[in-house]
Amino acid sequence: MKASKMSVLRLEMRKAKKYRMLVLMTLPGLLYFLVNNYLPMFGIVIAFKDVNFATGIWGSEWVGFKNFEYLFKTKDAYIITRNTLLYNLSFIVLNTAIAISLAILLNEIRKRILSRTYQTLILLPHLISMVIVGYLVLGFLDVEKGFMNKTLLPFFGLEPISWYSETKYWPWILTIVHAWKGVGQLCIIYLASIIGIDQEYYEAAKIDGANRWQQIQMITIPLIAPVITIMTLLAIGRIFYSDFGLFFQVPLNTGVLMPVTNTIDTYVYRALVNMGDIGMSSAAGLYQALVGFVLVLASNAVVRKFNKDNALF
Amino acid sequence: MKKSMKSAAMLLISVLAASTLVTACSSGSSNQPNTSGAPGLSDSAKPDLEPVELTMVFPVNTEQKDLKAVEEEINKITQKKINATVKLVQITKGAWAQQTTLMLSGNEKMDLIVSGRGTYEQQVAKGNYLALDDYIAKYGQGAQKALDDLDPAYLKASRIDGKTYGITSIRDLASDFGISMRKDLVDKYKIDTNAIRSVDDLDTVFKVIKENEPDVTPVIKFSNSILGSPFSAGMMDPLGDGFGVLQAHNDGMKVVNWIETPEYAKLLDTTRRWYLAGYVAKDAATSTEIWQNLMKAGKAFSTFHHMSPFSEAANSLTVGQDLIEVRLLPAASGTTSVITYMWSIPRNAQNPERSMMLLDLMYTDKDFINLLDWGIEGQHYVKKSDNVIDFPEGVNASNSGYYPYENWLFGNMFLSYVFNGEDPDRNQKLEEFIKNSKKSKAMGFIYNPESVKTEIAALTNVVNQYALALETGTVDPAKVLPEYIKQMKAAGIDKVIAEKQKQLDAWAAANK
Repeated sequence: MKASKMSVLRLEMRKAKKYRMLVLMTLPGLLYFLVNNYLPMFGIVIAFKDVNFATGIWGSEWVGFKNFEYLFKTKDAYIITRNTLLYNLSFIVLNTAIAISLAILLNEIRKRILSRTYQTLILLPHLISMVIVGYLVLGFLDVEKGFMNKTLLPFFGLEPISWYSETKYWPWILTIVHAWKGVGQLCIIYLASIIGIDQEYYEAAKIDGANRWQQIQMITIPLIAPVITIMTLLAIGRIFYSDFGLFFQVPLNTGVLMPVTNTIDTYVYRALVNMGDIGMSSAAGLYQALVGFVLVLASNAVVRKFNKDNALF
Repeated sequence: MKKSMKSAAMLLISVLAASTLVTACSSGSSNQPNTSGAPGLSDSAKPDLEPVELTMVFPVNTEQKDLKAVEEEINKITQKKINATVKLVQITKGAWAQQTTLMLSGNEKMDLIVSGRGTYEQQVAKGNYLALDDYIAKYGQGAQKALDDLDPAYLKASRIDGKTYGITSIRDLASDFGISMRKDLVDKYKIDTNAIRSVDDLDTVFKVIKENEPDVTPVIKFSNSILGSPFSAGMMDPLGDGFGVLQAHNDGMKVVNWIETPEYAKLLDTTRRWYLAGYVAKDAATSTEIWQNLMKAGKAFSTFHHMSPFSEAANSLTVGQDLIEVRLLPAASGTTSVITYMWSIPRNAQNPERSMMLLDLMYTDKDFINLLDWGIEGQHYVKKSDNVIDFPEGVNASNSGYYPYENWLFGNMFLSYVFNGEDPDRNQKLEEFIKNSKKSKAMGFIYNPESVKTEIAALTNVVNQYALALETGTVDPAKVLPEYIKQMKAAGIDKVIAEKQKQLDAWAAANK
């Protein structure tokens, strides 16, 4: 027993010696995470306290789960959780599908200059601030001067629509805007992994008489599957966080639209921006982080069950 | 953008974590006087006062580039009078809330700070300000006298649990309410402003504008509504957050839900009528353009808001158009109008008694006040007569190095010079206006929402969902108002009102 323990230790020591350069290289990153992500985690106690600055954080009164109550107490709790989850789910599925298709298409373009141009154009929306995106959307949807109401709908002989007071269009609008904005970045990651695939696979497939579609199906997709899994797992970890800009700026913070645009983040922001209660906002952050953490563990376990190599850990 | 909420929270937390450590380390030395800023005692300095540096933090609309020069002039006065040098710290209003919250929760050295702006109760609840009563009694008699001459209620209004945490500046402590209209159009269409007595008299006026000026919107929102806040504050005392109000005509002490009153319903019906008639812009609910800009661009005719004896002149100056104000509701004041702008001594002030001496100067020392208000004579202003000043040759509002125009904020406005263009009788009119205003029966009551903050978080979301659309007339109140009321009940408005009533009754019993 003791001997085996010793030998394990020795093995670890030898490993450490062998990889010490690599370990050294991770040091800045580790330090960053320690300072930026782990040290502030002591702040979690704030979520359980009624913070009074005169007595300091440690001296403030413990209030148990009182700071969490507002997240669950009203029927808004159901709406915001539903909105956050369903939107994010559809975003994950749609954006992944679109990004992979685009990446494959881009990879098929042989003219370098064209391929680069398309890439840049697809990525461009990702670099635009959501505030500006909100106004671009307004350019389309403005009741009196918008492109839809002034040009497009009259062209088809349709009545103008009061976009900002009809809830039924917004799930579509938000999904389209999110795809338009988010797909570019994802697409580049997939494109990079496709380019990394050894060309010999394709040559072999061609000799066997596989057509383009079969090559994509049998070679490209299976070979980038690990990347797809990782990207999806990462997205699932953030499924309880919503894109604040998308849900707050793009509908221009319109009250009437709140049943379909209110998510956990916007709810918390609206409720607490005036109250400035850091206990309650920390409670919301902790709740989102915990649920995200559990979901990552769970989905990773599922992936692991099917294919061990594709799992994150 | 995606992470903004979270990372802001994280930033706050880490700053807090760091600051508590710092507090722990430095508390031993914090009582020592700071001597850095006072080189060479002036001859006439009071011998019993150690030289100190006092940091004074206040909001500005735009940064004043000659602040340092003004500071040097101020120091000549303060060194002589209280043997202190002053460090002025200006923070623009847009950044104010965030920055001061961090400064107050951290260990930043501050000795005097502007409080209020809707966060006074919270900051007191968080323990960020010192109780001032003892300091006022010893070192702040001048400030107390200036305020008490007006009405002792104003100094008392900021009391929480019997203790004073802020001293209001002397300014337009009351407001009356009405409509501002563009003078050029009023003259052009010969609109008889004397005939406008109530909100219902305005349909004919708006009709004229709508028919003759197709590019001008007859009425626009002032902040977030046409006839809601701030106009509605003339009909009730919001008692802080507005969840549960005291109606103006109500002689009792009964807290009611403003949203459920017939008065509110009538305001909404009027707004809806105007919206359907095309007097309100179709995009009023989504537009974020502030009223000043719309007026400046000549796109709007009128807006409803709160007024004071000098608001007409001041607003005309801001929008670059002559405006005519027509009053529709009488002057009123309540705790809310007093505690919007005050001066407080932060928790980590090192010499609170000296902070109070400095604050006292702001109510008594004419030279000190006018340096803060208008800058240096000859450089930023010249005297026209004893009490009237103007810009020097070649200087104007946009190129002056010091023109904060905050004479209503720096202590005692009665001691501030009158700027050319202002009413020379301003002080007298202001005093009469304040004294004649109707004080809310709840003047002095400050509500503590701590025990119902869960409900308030939910209610805030309900208001966000309905108020703007209803108060711009975009949706039909007959259909949506009952829904709004129902949602408020579901979010717990009755519990909040019961709590407010309880606190108000207790306050009334204690202040008979």
